[in-house]
Amino acid sequence: MTRSMKGIIGALTLGLAAACSLAAISSASAEELSLKGKRIGVSAIGTDHYWDLMAFKGIQDRVKELGGEVIALDAGRKDQQQIAQLQTLIAQTPDAIIEQLGNLEVLNPWLQKIRDAGIPLFTVDTATPHAINNTTSNNYNIGAEIALQMVADMGGKGNVLVFNGFYSVPVCKIRYDQLKYVLTSFPDVKIVEPELRDVIPNTVQSAYSNVTDMLTKAPEKGSIGAVWACWDVPQIGATQAVEAAGRNEVKTYGIDGSPEVIKMVMDPKSSAGAVAAQQPYEIGKTSVDNAARYLAGQKVAPFTFVPAVLINKENAAEKGRPFLDAAEKAGVK
Amino acid sequence: MNATALHSEAVVSDETRASAKSAGRRFGALVVRLGAIAAFAGIIFYFVLLAPGFTSTFNLINVVEQSAILGVLAYGMTSVIIGGGSDVTEGGIDLSIAANMGLCAAVYATLLSMGYGDMLSVLAAIAVGMAVGALNALAVVGLGILPLLATLAVLNVAAGMELTLTQNTVVGASSPLLGFLVSGSFLGISALAWALILFSALVIAVFHYTSFGLRLYAVGGHPEAARAAGLSVPFYVSFTYVLSGFCAAVASVLTVSRLSASTPGSGELLLSVLAAALLGTVFSRRFVPTMGGTLLSVLFIGLLVNGFQLLNVSSYWVNGVQGALILLVVAITSFARGSEGSR
Repeated sequence: MTRSMKGIIGALTLGLAAACSLAAISSASAEELSLKGKRIGVSAIGTDHYWDLMAFKGIQDRVKELGGEVIALDAGRKDQQQIAQLQTLIAQTPDAIIEQLGNLEVLNPWLQKIRDAGIPLFTVDTATPHAINNTTSNNYNIGAEIALQMVADMGGKGNVLVFNGFYSVPVCKIRYDQLKYVLTSFPDVKIVEPELRDVIPNTVQSAYSNVTDMLTKAPEKGSIGAVWACWDVPQIGATQAVEAAGRNEVKTYGIDGSPEVIKMVMDPKSSAGAVAAQQPYEIGKTSVDNAARYLAGQKVAPFTFVPAVLINKENAAEKGRPFLDAAEKAGVK
Repeated sequence: MNATALHSEAVVSDETRASAKSAGRRFGALVVRLGAIAAFAGIIFYFVLLAPGFTSTFNLINVVEQSAILGVLAYGMTSVIIGGGSDVTEGGIDLSIAANMGLCAAVYATLLSMGYGDMLSVLAAIAVGMAVGALNALAVVGLGILPLLATLAVLNVAAGMELTLTQNTVVGASSPLLGFLVSGSFLGISALAWALILFSALVIAVFHYTSFGLRLYAVGGHPEAARAAGLSVPFYVSFTYVLSGFCAAVASVLTVSRLSASTPGSGELLLSVLAAALLGTVFSRRFVPTMGGTLLSVLFIGLLVNGFQLLNVSSYWVNGVQGALILLVVAITSFARGSEGSR
């Protein structure tokens, strides 16, 4: 077991090094970028979540900064609306389209149509063969790191409640698959079946009642060790439910780094165990830079990773602060 | 004697006053109605002048295509309002229609993904849609529950069944029929747009050019008179709810084709469906819902969303404008109803 653990950590370090050098390359070529006279279409499935709003804002701010015109479209979590917006956007023939999140199964045929219409497509956090570049966090890393943190906190054994309602969202798929992969090395950590479903909207309330129900079903202390979700809004509800039930032995894990959750992890008394904090605003900005480079005739890699940080109970005081400051600076609560 | 004479005189003068007042109101209603239509036309005209690419054939066909699902659902809603009467609190209304579409889409996509063919899957979706419609009919006609409450309850039943079936996930689907709906076209008009055109022609023909349609209006407009004339009111009202369920099933096939999947959240469409059915009454002289009026308002909503995007106005405004228009139309409608009610 120790050997396999070492192997995993070794692989992680390698991956991290690769990610860092990639980031270094992309920042090394930071030259004078411009989008003067260009129209950039931006389509987001929704902006009701901190991450989504920050990335959406990052894209728009950067396009304006570079002198371009933005056509910003927020589908309000409605697939129908996003498809209609993309269809009209294709007819508007912008110089490039940046697409942010959504259901890949729904989107793919329409992303194909964007390329068929000769419009360069860039995506944020959405891995699809149709995009010239996808700018995102290294979700393979994030997924493994948060899973390993959870396993370590659980002492390598126990039961986990897992929210798996968004497997059709590519980043959630990667993080979930990484969790499963990590758990293959720790057979004593078991996912409780059936898995829970996180939902949008009413994510927090629904997670709260799901976790409360499961804790009621397993009343002995220690019968549940952790709660995992591929993002951190269910984590809010889960943490509240654990604390309300007085089951402080249960720790919660999530990904994204909403200010609320970072504050929870920073609070030593809170049951929030760790959160992998991303830089959504930077991710949005970087995708625009990629589009600008491409439009200037430069070569762009198929994906760009923007670094993320694992914030846990030990490092929260030091690592959490910069993220809270960034959120404040962007004016998003 | 004297007292009776005085009394009857008073009644007569009250009546003349009332009819003068109602004539005044009717004139007022006419002015407001034309004003509303002028506002609609004004908005479209503004788009024509200022929104780049608004009038291109490609864009207009896009709008028709984008309106297909809303249109088919709005026809279902309109039929229920026609058959049940357009009183906002006690008349016909089907709040379950959007959730029903979600359930049908889930059934259709799930069966396709399990390997059943188009034929069986479509039939199953239609059967489910009509069954939900029949449940509405049972609650409203059989049990005499207010449609507003009955269909609200059925909304929850349908939404719950959809969640149970899909576990709130996206169910991907592909089939020859879906492929045809996505990429088929005839005379430069896409299959989805054709679906709306043909379905519109069908419902307009049935509701406005057959004696069956006339009877539906009679049942909705004045149930007692319809009963006295020998019409089976329960049958006609039930028919509208089942038809509404059928529309939900048809719309579900269109929605699965457009999204290549059944996805959660179909219930969101309800507001737009209600808006389309209610806005449509403005296009009728007597403020009654008509299929043609519904079609115009569906296209208007589609053009509104499209025009805003072309003008680069935030999509956040669309909901607000849509809500304001509903308020305006409902206000006009109750104003006009007031004149009929006082008679």
